[in-house]
Amino acid sequence: MAALVGVRACFSALQLSSPSLLHSSYKLCAVPLSRRNFAAEAKKVFSRDKPHVNVGTIGHVDHGKTTLTAAITKVLAEAGGAHYKKYEDIDNAPEEKARGITINASHVEYTTPNRHYAHTDCPGHADYVKNMITGTAQLDGCILVVAATDGQMPQTREHLLLARQIGVQHVVVYVNKADAVDDPELLQLVELEIRELLSEFGYDGDNTPVICGSALCALENRQPDLGVNSIMKLLEVVDEFIPLPKRDLDRPFLLPIEGVYSIPGRGTVVTGTLERGVIKKGDECEFVGHNRSAKSVVTGIEMFHQSLDRAEAGDNLGALVRGVKREDMRRGMVMCKPGSIQPHQKIKAQVYILSKEEGGRHKPFVTNFMPVMFSLTWDMACRILLPDGKEMVMPGEDTSLTLTLRQPMVLEKGQRFTLRDGNRTIGTGLVTDILPTTPEDQHNWG
Amino acid sequence: MAASRVFSSLRSHISKVRSAGCVVCVECVHTGRSMFSADKALLLKLRKNTGYTFINCKKALEKFSNDITQAEHWLHDQAQKEGWSKASKLENRRTSEGLIALLKKEKIAVMVEVNCETDFVARNETFQQLVQDVAFATLEHHQSKTMSGYMKSMMSAEDVCNLTVPESSSVADQLALAIGRLGENISVRRAVSVGVPAEWHVGSYVHGPVSGRSRVPMGRYGALVVFQGGPEGQEEVLGKKLGQHIVGEAPLSLGHIGDVSCGESETRLLPQSFLLDPQYTVEQFLALQNAQVLDFIRFKCGEETQEQHAALAS
Repeated sequence: MAALVGVRACFSALQLSSPSLLHSSYKLCAVPLSRRNFAAEAKKVFSRDKPHVNVGTIGHVDHGKTTLTAAITKVLAEAGGAHYKKYEDIDNAPEEKARGITINASHVEYTTPNRHYAHTDCPGHADYVKNMITGTAQLDGCILVVAATDGQMPQTREHLLLARQIGVQHVVVYVNKADAVDDPELLQLVELEIRELLSEFGYDGDNTPVICGSALCALENRQPDLGVNSIMKLLEVVDEFIPLPKRDLDRPFLLPIEGVYSIPGRGTVVTGTLERGVIKKGDECEFVGHNRSAKSVVTGIEMFHQSLDRAEAGDNLGALVRGVKREDMRRGMVMCKPGSIQPHQKIKAQVYILSKEEGGRHKPFVTNFMPVMFSLTWDMACRILLPDGKEMVMPGEDTSLTLTLRQPMVLEKGQRFTLRDGNRTIGTGLVTDILPTTPEDQHNWG
Repeated sequence: MAASRVFSSLRSHISKVRSAGCVVCVECVHTGRSMFSADKALLLKLRKNTGYTFINCKKALEKFSNDITQAEHWLHDQAQKEGWSKASKLENRRTSEGLIALLKKEKIAVMVEVNCETDFVARNETFQQLVQDVAFATLEHHQSKTMSGYMKSMMSAEDVCNLTVPESSSVADQLALAIGRLGENISVRRAVSVGVPAEWHVGSYVHGPVSGRSRVPMGRYGALVVFQGGPEGQEEVLGKKLGQHIVGEAPLSLGHIGDVSCGESETRLLPQSFLLDPQYTVEQFLALQNAQVLDFIRFKCGEETQEQHAALAS
């Protein structure tokens, strides 16, 4: 487990910091080597040349989620893409039981010819929702396991509901235990029922790939048609059907401002870590937040006291901007591609409230509670409104909340934030919706 | 602890008897298989109506040569048997999720806790139906006893399992059925019932994520509070507020009038600052409402009960 986490951490570090590493080493060498060469070298060191995808198995108890996971590692181990993990190794892993603020649910990794996968099992509904909110292990897709002998069972429904709730867009189906059913018609009925169920939950039931097979056969090396081949087929459709998560570089740039400096003779410089996208010298930009807004042009980008033409997501940089005064800007505003992001005052969010053991408050809160919201580089007082039918929120619970900020700040769907009260972090959340402000929201602040 | 051991041995004993019966049935099916094959449309219909597994539906239809009514009966019987064998197989698995249900009728209130292994099952309607049945069984049991004055009785898991569900079999049977259906270990943790004289009131509050399609409020926390007085006609509201405070602040004892609060960590109810209006202590709030709290009970789902705690300590 520790090794896996380490590897994953390296991977993300590579993703985030490789551009900066590249830039700095580029300057140190002072030799005009092409960047591509460096990239190839860096990849060799981390031996990560495949895109990474998070998948999970869901399905009713005893339908063979763990057996399938074991079978996948076994089949891929023969191709050199995984370490074979026995059923017992997976089932008895302490991670399965470990709970905390960031449960690391993934305990199996494997590589297909095209991709690298982290594979997650299903510890509990609340745990998954917590993961979704805190952003630890986002699932890019799910493998739904259904036993051919049973068809869909109660937990199949609950798990699909969860997948929907945490925003899993893509599901592929593995009909397991096909070796225990001697009637091909029955298999068809099971498939029919599953497609119906998927459509009921808003998935594309008609076009979802459904693979029939037997994970047990694959493990025991018998009936290769139902065994090994079905696993290979499943991995193929997973490769195909579950798309790669969109890379941060392709999105409009966003730089949350950490500091603003005035450099005599040159102008104003804003600093921060580029959240996403790419900035080039000469790009137009806009500053928003703290009830202010200004437009400008990036006339220079610097990193490690060296100037560069282009900065990528993850870079910690300073940007020289034309025609704005230091007094007009402050920490908490963002520099962005003009028009790409707007400040908002009222949002709907899914929030996880830390339990006392996790460092949160010991007591619940009720409506009109006023914590401070932290997101990007800003912080702002906000007022909480509980949803209908909910009268209080206990520590350790996740809930939907409406939050009204004292002043509009940069917020968008999918943005993460933290709530603090006094000197204590009480919860963490994810913006699910932007709401229009009403006149009452303005008056409430007294 | 001892009680649950008795119960579990009872359970496994029964299941042995039942599973013997089960073997016989399965054999009949095998002999019958060559003669009939199940009709596809009927199979789908039966599956939709009952929700039992495909393979069992098919067996049932083959056994009764596509007679859907008989097949359904057989499936129900079969489910009960399978439930018992499953229950004995799973009985050692830890259950720490689940639901607390609360039921009030006139001057009687009951609160029950039923546990399962994961919160997925706690969200399931079958499980919620079971919890509701247990609550009604407990209420019925309480109503059947003649009583006057204040009464509070804690029931052990074993006692609850021996109760009968209205219009149905025993709680233990229902439990086994749900285990067979949901595939997880499920157990009744505890139940409490409270009866008060006419001039007293029972306030209640249930906290948790279950948005009720069921008739009984259920959730992860529950509180019952016995009190006197309060503004005329507003007892229900007052009771709920007090219940919320008890769920939220988790007091351990009542305390005495005139007790001085020891701050954030106060565990006596009366000197705690009132959750919904922190400028008052609970005692001051009650004085304003002209009310008096006499007793309270708080359940948190999956928490260690006092008996368990004592068993662990000794």
